[in-house]
Amino acid sequence: MIPTMLGITALVFFSMALSPGGVAGPLLNQVSRLNTVDAKRVREYYEKRYGLDKPAYVQYARWLNLISPIGWRPNPDGSLGGFGFKWPSLGESLGRHRPVSDLIEEFLPVTLLLQAISIPFVYGFGFLAGITSARRRGSAYDNFVGVSQLASWSVPTIWAGVMLIGFLANRDYISLFPSSGLHEAEALNMAFFPHFTPQGWQRGWLLDCIWHLILPVVCLSYGGSAFLTKLMRGSVLENLSSDYVRTARAKGVPENFVLYRHVLRNSLLAMITVAASILPAMLGGSVVVESIFSIPGMGKLGVEAVENRDRELVLAITLIGGLIGLLSTIIRDVLYAMADPRVIYD
Amino acid sequence: MDNRFGVKDFVLVLLLLIIIVMIALAMFQYDRQWTVLQQTNQQLTELTGDVARVRQRVEQGAFATTQAASTQDMYTGLERVVKSYSSPDYAEGDTLTMVSQAPPDKLTPVVSTDLLSFTIQGEVMDALLGRDPDTFAFTPNLASDWHVSDDLLTIDFTLKRGITFSDGSPFMADDVVFTFELSKNPKLEAPGEQSLLDHLTSVEKIDDYHVRFHFDAPYFLSLITAGNTPILSKAFYSKYSIDELNQSTGLLIGSGPYRMADPTSWTPQPGQPIVLLRNERYWGPRPSFNKIIWKIIENPSARTTAFTNGDIDCYGTLSFGPSPESFDQMLKNPAIVARTQHYALDSPVQGYFYIGWNVKVGRDGPPSPFADPRVRRAMTMLCDRQRIIRDILHGYGTICTGPFPPSSPQADPTIQPWPYDPDGALKLLAEAGYVYKGDRVYGPDGQPLKIKLMYPNEGYVLKRCIPLIQDAFARAGVEVDPDPQEWTVFLQRTQNRQFEAAVAGWGGVIDNDLYQIFDSHFSEGAGDDFTQYVNKDLDAAIEQARITADETKRNELWHKCAQIIHQDQPYTFLFIDREMTIMDSRIHGVEPTKVGLNSPQEWYVPKALQKYHD
Amino acid sequence: MTETAVQTMAPSLANDVTGRTMRRWGARLGLTWIVLLVLLAVFAPFLANSRPLLLKSHGHWSSPAIENLTPADVIIQAVFWTTIILWKMPVSLRTKILIELAVLVSTTIGALVWVHPSELVIYETYRQDERAGNVEKVINAPIPFSPDDHQRDLEDAQLKPPDSAHWMGTTENSADLASNMIFATRIALSIGFISVSIAVVIGVIVGGLMGYFVGWVDLLGMRLVEIFDAVPTLLLLLCFIAFFPRNLYIMMAIIGLTGWVGYAYFVRGEFLSLRDRDFVQAARAAGIPLRSIIFRHMLLNGLTPVIVSASFGVASAILIESTLSFLGIGLVQESSWGALLEEALGVGGTFYWWIALYPGLAIFLTVFAYNLLGEALRDALDPKLR
Repeated sequence: MIPTMLGITALVFFSMALSPGGVAGPLLNQVSRLNTVDAKRVREYYEKRYGLDKPAYVQYARWLNLISPIGWRPNPDGSLGGFGFKWPSLGESLGRHRPVSDLIEEFLPVTLLLQAISIPFVYGFGFLAGITSARRRGSAYDNFVGVSQLASWSVPTIWAGVMLIGFLANRDYISLFPSSGLHEAEALNMAFFPHFTPQGWQRGWLLDCIWHLILPVVCLSYGGSAFLTKLMRGSVLENLSSDYVRTARAKGVPENFVLYRHVLRNSLLAMITVAASILPAMLGGSVVVESIFSIPGMGKLGVEAVENRDRELVLAITLIGGLIGLLSTIIRDVLYAMADPRVIYD
Repeated sequence: MDNRFGVKDFVLVLLLLIIIVMIALAMFQYDRQWTVLQQTNQQLTELTGDVARVRQRVEQGAFATTQAASTQDMYTGLERVVKSYSSPDYAEGDTLTMVSQAPPDKLTPVVSTDLLSFTIQGEVMDALLGRDPDTFAFTPNLASDWHVSDDLLTIDFTLKRGITFSDGSPFMADDVVFTFELSKNPKLEAPGEQSLLDHLTSVEKIDDYHVRFHFDAPYFLSLITAGNTPILSKAFYSKYSIDELNQSTGLLIGSGPYRMADPTSWTPQPGQPIVLLRNERYWGPRPSFNKIIWKIIENPSARTTAFTNGDIDCYGTLSFGPSPESFDQMLKNPAIVARTQHYALDSPVQGYFYIGWNVKVGRDGPPSPFADPRVRRAMTMLCDRQRIIRDILHGYGTICTGPFPPSSPQADPTIQPWPYDPDGALKLLAEAGYVYKGDRVYGPDGQPLKIKLMYPNEGYVLKRCIPLIQDAFARAGVEVDPDPQEWTVFLQRTQNRQFEAAVAGWGGVIDNDLYQIFDSHFSEGAGDDFTQYVNKDLDAAIEQARITADETKRNELWHKCAQIIHQDQPYTFLFIDREMTIMDSRIHGVEPTKVGLNSPQEWYVPKALQKYHD
Repeated sequence: MTETAVQTMAPSLANDVTGRTMRRWGARLGLTWIVLLVLLAVFAPFLANSRPLLLKSHGHWSSPAIENLTPADVIIQAVFWTTIILWKMPVSLRTKILIELAVLVSTTIGALVWVHPSELVIYETYRQDERAGNVEKVINAPIPFSPDDHQRDLEDAQLKPPDSAHWMGTTENSADLASNMIFATRIALSIGFISVSIAVVIGVIVGGLMGYFVGWVDLLGMRLVEIFDAVPTLLLLLCFIAFFPRNLYIMMAIIGLTGWVGYAYFVRGEFLSLRDRDFVQAARAAGIPLRSIIFRHMLLNGLTPVIVSASFGVASAILIESTLSFLGIGLVQESSWGALLEEALGVGGTFYWWIALYPGLAIFLTVFAYNLLGEALRDALDPKLR
């Protein structure tokens, strides 16, 4: 796992360092308004502090030192202190002058919330649609589901988001939903649950959150659920034509029982195998959704960091992205082991 | 077989998880309400203390008829505010709501870097001097009097007495000394700020209410440096170490009309508004609004929606303003026009857009076609600036004629912009050796004239400007090749002088110093004279103006600079966009001035129109 | 026996697959749309051009449209017509490919040397001439606007809804939307095709190497695959594309470089299963060189899932490019469907429905077409459904 993480972060860092503009983006922004003498001083100050004048591999090595629990302790002015155990730190964002861990603390929960709400919809919908179409194989319903599944998988997220906002969240058309953000500004003064106040009915923080999340969740989940529908259908079909089902039917077991007791559990294996790739795919999708709906999450932070060449932030986000990817692989293996009694890990 | 993990169990686990999440969210909400309660309690305690103190002093007979006189002395510099507050419909109360695009990264003064934090600090803190928005003269603020020595090396300030910060600690000379010493501390993470204080050697405390500033070289902006810097409270800020200040996000306290509810604990939460409360201990007339709130709405269409819904009172000045399209769109709606007031004002802080022509090929290379001022003037005459303002800014802009804002005394009012005159331009080009043949302009070397126009790929204004410029030049036979670059690369290229022509903008201030931008000292290295323009006459005029103490003589020199620049056109000055503001018409006291709208300190809402009562 | 037998084997497998695929209505639909797009892309300068196709002015005939074709236009025309002519000719596939390459190279050189469209473009002159009555006869393209014609002769032409003059309305820059969309077809198709080709080539090479020379080559390769697999693709692409100049070719290369993983996996799997098969062992024992074993036997079998995956890959490449252009990180100067879509949500909150509908629909239909094609290919190649 560690070599993979090293590889990813090295790849990203060196492509950033080797690109025109280099790593010093926010630095250039700082000095662009000052005269030569002052610009020189400011540049020297930042270079010493963040090591921006050193060659790329040295900068990368310094970052590695920063995140490892054993290493040279960094001093605030940029030099290195004693060797030993230390708290791993993600560094400080050059563009925002704040510790990266603070930024991640603020932005990650929003993205995770979005994912957490979308995943049940993705799986639930895929599940139902897959099973029902497998049962009625070859019928008009099955064909319809098949075509609409492929069609909705082909709808670009950007188009879906723009059309939804344009028609459903726009005062010129139907103004049913809010067009952006996670909360109205008033929501912070609202109580948690909806209730009646002297001024009228108040939405409450919970409902307000849900109302803001409906469109983004729709945008995030339609693609994944289409994909899962197909997978589920294929898996159920495969199981329905297997030997043990034939035996059960021959024994006289009712069809529903066969379906729900036996076939389902085995079909779940296919869904779980795919679970590992759903989360990273949705993280990618969330970049787009967060940008369109102006939701302050990791995707948006990532786009901004990359545009500003904010070295620490980009590396930290890559690290987290990779970690989440690897984590979902582990979760998938665990779920697999739980669901399939045939699987034994030693 | 019986203890398999079935569907039932899964559903149960899911329900359990949902309940746990709900409980956690409810606890979070409860916690937040508790914090609000705490703040209210603290406010109450402070107010009770104040009332008790006032009652004490009344009983001691401290409020004799001398009160009126001392108030008058205190209020010098705030005449505009006093005048506004004496309107017949004046009332205290209500909340003023503004909007901004993103929360500031930090609110702690000196280490903060973005525009919104400066704006908020402007409401919470005071500086020694103020500025009249129409005459640009300096007015007393925290200082009642000041004197600048003839050699520009010493400035004396007399401070007002009886002023306290919002936490009750008194304002005295120690605070002024502390402010500048802290700002100059090299360990503080504010290298940009410190460069402005370069010429300041020390601030000397003469006595509790007199300070003297010492400078090492004469510079006409020294008074502004000393007078416009917000003063920090020594009692409050000296409690923190330099590291703590560097790391902090929200340590903001001052003597201004408004204050933070909690001066120590603000952090930038996305989506959370920034709330300022009235400073009951303010030394000037009691501020009119109960609260000033900045809502943070990132999406431009959401901002417009929030304004049209009435959730925001003021969309424009002091915060993020509407684009020309939104502005026009809102003004087309009669319902909105009926309940709002709108302004599109020229302001010196808007800055200007320009095209910089590199007079050499690369850094220190042979002269480029733009080394000849006739060619540069021809380029200016080929830009249809009126059309740019009409099409892209929807008319909300002015043609820019030079580096000084038109309302500033530094600008020469007799200068007229070069007209859009393609024929005249072609004549000038012909004089310089660039002939129009067929449908193209050919240079003296026989090659057609082709310009690579580099611009930063940010913001829609430039993106739409470039095709207009390209088409206008094409009609005259000059080929323009747009070269969009990322901001970082753009900066790098201008610093390395690797470009032919670059479109960019400078921000604006009331008092402009042309030294960094046009003096030939800065044509080398990474200086800001990135077009490598050298003009000895201009250098002399600039350098003389910088050290001239007398304002009239100085402005004459600046006029001379403006004339030289106008004839030589090192830049093609494009346009200045206007500050557009649309606000709820219930807010009275709003007046246009030469720096845009007047300060919100002068605004108020009459009793009958007040909307928010908490 | 091997030489001729394999040569006759391969074409019949291809014919077999093609026949089975075309029987499916999904493939027919998808292919129809793709052919339509190809036609639009090839004939774009004749379909949407501000310059008249035929002009008689002052008694003098001319064709400004043809005189101002860019080298790219000329090359595309040449390649297209060569393909059409060679389609039904009874020559071997190898000869056809060689002829195509020859035509491509010669036209490129010739076009770069001889084709010089005028560099200064002033589109308004044609319309102004027409209005002034200086022209006797003029035949315009069906859409008489070029994609970069900003209609400077009109007062206010930006962001207008569809009407009789502009069938799909106008964009932010006062340019005709329909014409922009037709030229954006070129970008979509070329990005799809070229980036997937790059990805397939890299994937096949890496996967083949891993599958053939197992051992440390395989281990190293697997680590590389893991790296590219673990990070969410969009994030990785974001990083790469934002760091480099916004050039069409660089974008193609980068999308290709991030998408090769799936193909490598397939090829490796195929190779691993085949290398221990009897016929391969026999071939090696008989002394047949390595190269022909790989190309004749292993590759052909391993390529079938790659082809299916490639079709989905093209769809995904088009989606990626649209998304990046939409986010403002993709192409800057050329307009692509994604970049056009970005203008739909105006800065002030106005929704320009025509700018949202048409480019979005184009992206959707193209991606759908490639997905349908991929599905049909997969069903055709799946042994279980035969």
